[in-house]
Amino acid sequence: MNIRGWGAVTALGWSTDESAQNLLAGRVRQGSVCVSSHLTNRDFKAYEVSGDDNPLEKSFRMLDASITEAFVRGGLSESEIAESALLVGTTGGIFIRNEFEFTEFVRSHPGGESPAIACRNRGPGEVADRIAQKYGIRGQKLTFSMACVSSSHAMVAAAQLLAQGKIKRAIVVGFEPLLNLTLQGFASLLLYDAEACRPFCNTRSGMQIGEASSCVILEQEAVPASGNHSFSLVGGCLYNDNSSLTSAGTNGELVEKILSQTLDKAGLAAGRIVAVKAHGTGTRDNDLSEGRGLVRVFGEKMPPVISLKGAIGHCLGAAGAVETALWLSCLEEGKLPRSFGFAEVDPEIGFAPSLENRQAPDGAYLFAFFGFGGTCTSYIITKTGRHE
Amino acid sequence: MNKKNIHVEHSFSTLSVLATGYLGPALVPNRDLPWEEKNLPHPPEGLVQEILGQPLRRAGRFIKLVCCGALACLRSAPEKILQDKKTGIFLATGLGNIDEILPFITQVFKHDGGYPSPNQFANSVSNAAAFYLAKRCDVKGLVLTVSQEEFSFESALWLAQTYLEAGEIELALVGGCDVFTPTVEEYRERMNFHPGDVCVAPMGEGSSWLLLGRSENRSVGRLLSVNLEIGFAGETQVALGQQKLEEMVLTGNLPENEEKIRRIFLPGFRLSDTDRAAWASDGWEVDDYLPFCGISPTASAFGLARALSLYRSASIVHCNKDAHGKSALIAAST
Repeated sequence: MNIRGWGAVTALGWSTDESAQNLLAGRVRQGSVCVSSHLTNRDFKAYEVSGDDNPLEKSFRMLDASITEAFVRGGLSESEIAESALLVGTTGGIFIRNEFEFTEFVRSHPGGESPAIACRNRGPGEVADRIAQKYGIRGQKLTFSMACVSSSHAMVAAAQLLAQGKIKRAIVVGFEPLLNLTLQGFASLLLYDAEACRPFCNTRSGMQIGEASSCVILEQEAVPASGNHSFSLVGGCLYNDNSSLTSAGTNGELVEKILSQTLDKAGLAAGRIVAVKAHGTGTRDNDLSEGRGLVRVFGEKMPPVISLKGAIGHCLGAAGAVETALWLSCLEEGKLPRSFGFAEVDPEIGFAPSLENRQAPDGAYLFAFFGFGGTCTSYIITKTGRHE
Repeated sequence: MNKKNIHVEHSFSTLSVLATGYLGPALVPNRDLPWEEKNLPHPPEGLVQEILGQPLRRAGRFIKLVCCGALACLRSAPEKILQDKKTGIFLATGLGNIDEILPFITQVFKHDGGYPSPNQFANSVSNAAAFYLAKRCDVKGLVLTVSQEEFSFESALWLAQTYLEAGEIELALVGGCDVFTPTVEEYRERMNFHPGDVCVAPMGEGSSWLLLGRSENRSVGRLLSVNLEIGFAGETQVALGQQKLEEMVLTGNLPENEEKIRRIFLPGFRLSDTDRAAWASDGWEVDDYLPFCGISPTASAFGLARALSLYRSASIVHCNKDAHGKSALIAAST
């Protein structure tokens, strides 16, 4: 499926171009204590998007900015937007409204007894409804609320629907504002690293959350010329393993299985992969599992492996769309970004992620995502230069 | 009726319904039993013991109802039907694990702080329930959790059809589950009802499932199509239903002498009296299922599963609207 447009707002910037330029220039800050007014614990470090507005307004502004960037980049007309299907990946939905309203109430009633926090948001599907109403999208709406693979699953499902002619065009959105719910939740599971996010590093001890919003537009037909390259999503796999709710195991077999299936589906041998966009969260188990899986697939011919989470954090349900969009903007610059946060090889993994920017040749790039509930997504995006 | 303006976005090949199961607030599978909103939610432990044979101590109520509803459906299927079959699970839910999220977030915001339960957080993730179900059924592969407010179940059905048609899976276990969580006022707000809105039924809950496949052997019915149309109401909504019926006759899915077939209409909770009257005036029997399950985002799953199990030699249409007036229609037959 052709990728027509993309957009994103991350801790690196309010567009994918800005984020990619900062990423490639090394203007990356580690996760830091956040300033948003709705966050109750000032000890947690995360990758926060800059903004002076209140967190609820900021999150909507993030959503709108990423979608607008994608529409502009893709040159979509109003009628094309209207006839598109909308697939959203999010874990928190607009739960930020609950957190913001509660903290504002407490702030405005100092010394008084606060009621229990209410949960008035309409579920994950509310995000898609808001987007459809605002932009006049009249096609099918579908929301995947599947933890860290929400928007990556949406990407692959969109490709399936396009391949079967069920939809004409897919607007895939990932949306994940910072929430106390998730910051505290991952900390309670001892999956949070208070120092830094260090994917694949021997000293890693957990993840740090990033907030982001992103939009990727897919369609079956050849897309109008935009940018220097053409990008296509080929081969995508969705897989759910039922062994563990919170881990993909550590022997790498599951990772090998899903990546191999993706290669088979795309009709590509492992040697054809130019680079791997790894999930690379910085947790002990994920990186061990993923690292071992990559070794099983590629052996001694390991292509460059890059995790973006050391630069933008783990964007949870938005990770799929956000990391895809950011990667594409880097490729448009002709560059593969480097990994951040790494210092020391883990002998149980046996390799280091790529620590320098590289030239990004035409070819196939492998993407991997893993999440709670035993979920896995993998797909390949090919890059080809435009020939006038 | 002006059928020319009806735009059917998708046509599907027919799928067989191999098993059904419906579970409402009374927590007795496949039975229409009385219940009262003021007494909800009922404890599920007895149901869990009956269906699963063991308590799910680490799981919340939503997860328990997902598993019990799905397994109650599978109980009516041929034994070991899932064995050696590539099966997908499609869980639809409008509000998800709200029963786990609320206590977790309440603990997070308590003034005296303290760590909330990690188990509760892990279970609050929307796809945790699908994981538990997949583990119970020993299903690996395609397991999706879909959420789109009052069209969650319709969306999941549409997606399941897509993957079945593509041959990516041989069987699809498709269900809708939402749980009743106090307060009623907040539940209504989560359902996008505004103060003063008249509801046709009390707020409820349920977990209802269909097992779908391509083979017609031992099927209880057929799923004919799922349509998510735009802005249809009243007469044109009915006309779409009639068109579906005619398509069924033309494609051989119903006998030509379809006057002998009962036509059952299932009205969703946002349909107005005008909508219902339009269907009734066109000869459809209106089966108001909502008193048996109450309003929830996935009540349509209950209505459809119930109708498929209750009616023989019938064509069945379920229709609901969202808050913007967009309609979703499911057509099936037994």
